[in-house]
Amino acid sequence: MRKIIKTDYLSRVEGEGGIYVEIKDSKIVKLQLNIFEAPRFFESFLVGRHYNDAPDFTARICGICPVAYLMSSVHAIEKIFDAKIDEPIRQLRRLLYASEWLSSHALHVYLLHGPDFYGIESAWADKNYIEIAKRGLAFKNLGNRITSVIGGRSIHPVSVKIGGFYMAPDKKDLTGFLPELEKAFEDSLAGIKWASSIRFNVFETEMEYISLSHQCEYPMNEGKVISNKGIDLSMERFLDAVQEYQVSYSSSLHSGIKMGKTLSPYLTGPVARVNLNHDRLPEEILEVIKESGVKLPIKNLQMSIIARSIEISYAIYELLRTIKNYEKPEKPYAEFELRSGKAAWITEAPRGMLIHAYDLDEKGCIKKCTIIPPTSQNLFHIERSVYEFVQSNIAKPADYLKSECEKIIRSYDPCISCSTHVVRV
Amino acid sequence: MKKPRIGVFKFTSCDGCQLTILNMEEEFLELLAFFDIGYFREAADKPLRGQFDIALVEGSITTDLQRKEIIDIRERSRYLITIGACATSGGLQALRNWASIIDFKKNVYPSPAFIETFSTSAPISEYVYPNYELWGCPIDKPSLIEVLTSYLINKKPGLPRYSLCIECKGRGIPCLLISKAAPCLGPITMAGCGVICPSLDRPCYGCFGPREDANIESLGRQFEKIGINKKEFAQLLDKMNTYAFRKAKTEQGRAAQK
Repeated sequence: MRKIIKTDYLSRVEGEGGIYVEIKDSKIVKLQLNIFEAPRFFESFLVGRHYNDAPDFTARICGICPVAYLMSSVHAIEKIFDAKIDEPIRQLRRLLYASEWLSSHALHVYLLHGPDFYGIESAWADKNYIEIAKRGLAFKNLGNRITSVIGGRSIHPVSVKIGGFYMAPDKKDLTGFLPELEKAFEDSLAGIKWASSIRFNVFETEMEYISLSHQCEYPMNEGKVISNKGIDLSMERFLDAVQEYQVSYSSSLHSGIKMGKTLSPYLTGPVARVNLNHDRLPEEILEVIKESGVKLPIKNLQMSIIARSIEISYAIYELLRTIKNYEKPEKPYAEFELRSGKAAWITEAPRGMLIHAYDLDEKGCIKKCTIIPPTSQNLFHIERSVYEFVQSNIAKPADYLKSECEKIIRSYDPCISCSTHVVRV
Repeated sequence: MKKPRIGVFKFTSCDGCQLTILNMEEEFLELLAFFDIGYFREAADKPLRGQFDIALVEGSITTDLQRKEIIDIRERSRYLITIGACATSGGLQALRNWASIIDFKKNVYPSPAFIETFSTSAPISEYVYPNYELWGCPIDKPSLIEVLTSYLINKKPGLPRYSLCIECKGRGIPCLLISKAAPCLGPITMAGCGVICPSLDRPCYGCFGPREDANIESLGRQFEKIGINKKEFAQLLDKMNTYAFRKAKTEQGRAAQK
């Protein structure tokens, strides 16, 4: 008996991809996550360009998380130049990043993922859900406005440069947000409770989850790379441990962790971060997690909506903290001397680890660059989850499997546009 | 009156311009009172069916499938509006138009033969007629609202075609080109972004593409005086609107010959 599960275009995800599963005699004979987002050639465009173009160009990889691209690129290049970044600039970067986490997670939780649990086609398809969506729209709006104050606009902000910022905001431009942030923090705790009250299908998978880890902070811009299965590496060493590979049905390269001669899938993103770093979360948030009955580590990927809701709270908490402590830097950027060299850097984009590596010549021109977005890293894991789910529910009707597979994929918050352009040089 | 039906479509792009629609946030809910969203794959699980009063199109055309799709979308739509630098001028991806695509594929993918793509990234207008083009990388939210409201009251959108300098002067921002000898593309770039770069002490880098009758040659001569050579000037133009800037430069050269 033959059964086909096929979705030509996945909806409520960023970018263009589909899924194809073929079942014969109760066995999966073919499973493909088709990525047909048209290929883009960012790494090639950057060869021969000035290092200053790296943040602006790579931000155009993704309109949802441009700040992540700005951050990974400036850190990697500053490492080559050995630029010393002062604490106020470091804090302003964290503030900017937290504002993007807030708007990006709010978009996914309330507009893209949430509707799955209510059986509706979109966030505005049901009057009752619109009331829930409004909370998300308010978070998103708040995050976007803070990004705009620092970056000039929320999509492809313009103020970030190697060494710091073209201009830093005045403290009074930021403190105006405090009352609204206080209220939003309360709402976000309600958001964690709401997400935890969703009834999830039981589907737990064995997995290796990987994230940055920092001595005293919940990770964003800095740290080493750790996993629940013993990985403990510097950013550069981690890049050596990952291998990218190409499959014929995808314009995105996949990646996995080298295990002897084979590759093993891993998970990056909010679930990995919460699982590995929850001890860095503030007490107020941990209490609500406990009250809501959420068991950590999260093993069911559909519950990523809870992890994202936790990080919405944390982003607001960090925005409050960094704005209260903000001191406008005397000079918005650090000086440095040009030098040739190579470096890699990883920051935690809303969707997970975003790896950038650059090789510059003595004039500061890019000789080579490598960008590995979170979704490329997750693709292998997504395929594995879909495989396990279908295999363990093989007798169920194709329509049911199709909609459940779509939900599994959506729970990763895949950014297919981002993933389609990776390079291994 | 029946609500006008909107379709939102994406080709080769970063999703940022269609995100501008969702970034309307509270205004987005008001939008729903006036328009029916018939197709918007990034945000709704709804199949592509029927005709559209307005098609908002993001992204450039870089594959044969996309070429077929844009023709289909044109046939389904009364008004087709391009949103953003990719759809309006080929985007950053149009940098491939001046290079060898074979080398690019080899550089990016171990097995280049699997990758099907055109050697060019072209604006929508190269394939079908757009009724209106919104510039910007990304587009400006108020401009999108202006275009949609203009449709409702049946008027022409009132968006500027003049240079960024006009808005910059209006805001009283000191000229970066004159006071700091910074390579600002403001004089040849269309207004519409809200002067965000100069107001953050950063020279304009051309997100909104060339203004009407942009005097690119003259700005190049001015840049030479501040130490920007021809190659560096060319790289400044070769960004998100490379196709439109190069085209404007060629047209300017042609006009000068006459």
